[in-house]
Amino acid sequence: MNVRLDSELDALMARLADGDRGAFTRVFELLWEPIQTLCRNLLKNEADAADAGQDAMHKILERASDFDRTRPAMPWALAIAGWECRTLARRRERRREEDEASMPSQAGPHAEEVFLQRDLTAAAMAALGELSDVDREVLVATFWDEAASVSGPTLRKRRERALDRLRKTFRSLYGLD
Amino acid sequence: MGSTDIYSIQRRVRRTYELARLRRALMGILPVILVTGVAAFVATRPTAPLVFGLVTAFAGAMMLWHGKDPQKAFLPGVIAGLVPLGLALGAGALHTCGAGSCSYVCVPACVLGGVVAGFAVAGVSLQRRAGVWFWVSASGLALLTGAMGCACMGSAGVIGMGLGFGAGIVPGLLRRVFGKETR
Repeated sequence: MNVRLDSELDALMARLADGDRGAFTRVFELLWEPIQTLCRNLLKNEADAADAGQDAMHKILERASDFDRTRPAMPWALAIAGWECRTLARRRERRREEDEASMPSQAGPHAEEVFLQRDLTAAAMAALGELSDVDREVLVATFWDEAASVSGPTLRKRRERALDRLRKTFRSLYGLD
Repeated sequence: MGSTDIYSIQRRVRRTYELARLRRALMGILPVILVTGVAAFVATRPTAPLVFGLVTAFAGAMMLWHGKDPQKAFLPGVIAGLVPLGLALGAGALHTCGAGSCSYVCVPACVLGGVVAGFAVAGVSLQRRAGVWFWVSASGLALLTGAMGCACMGSAGVIGMGLGFGAGIVPGLLRRVFGKETR
């Protein structure tokens, strides 16, 4: 930006600080491009730069009435924009860290397997809940290799029947028929 | 980014600017609200100070929000108006007698306060070589602020203050006009 435009911006910012709305559009035009360029250079990301640039414009014009006319306007505006870019970058970084912390398994190589297993266990528990107490007792005893109230062929038959019912329940619950 | 997008961003930023000015204006009228509270507390009939205080606060907020000459006139206007307000409240507080006796003392106090306020507004306006809007805004605010005190004696107090203010401001106005002609 050249000296002429800098001094034009200084004068316009002073007018805007006094409440002269006629200076608004030109101030916006003079600030828009340098701020977008600065944000693009700092953030290296088009979308982030656009967001930070807009936030910066809001902040600058919000503080326009407090503008100190003894100081040049452009460095003041760019300082605000730089701060906005830094804040946005920090916010994005923090969010990324939080996301990683909340889902540690996602980062691992078996993330998909873990999710599938978790879903499957939940589905099995739901299917188990649909069975009768006797069937549930038999299946739990089988799983833990415990002695049920009955043993031998009776237990084997009950186990087969319970497993069969569990399979059917599972299929009907999750539409696998 | 398209021109429509930039236009809508510009509109949003403009709204932010206006809201920020409004916020500042509302902060700026806090002294007026404080003065109104004190005037209503001191006055025998608090309705008039409250009504005029509300109008003063609203007018002051509009002036501060608008900016330019009316914004610059806010403080001189309020300070000049404190003279008739203070004199009127003081005169009212000194008397516990009937309404006739109070008005007898308070109306002159309001006239005197008005003259001083008029001189003050004219003096500041001339010193700053202010425009018409400064004169109008400062005078309006001074009269409204003074009316908070003078209205408790009825319209006579306000009219007296207005006449005094007019008398006080005339020399300054003539000097302004005369000064312009000689230039």
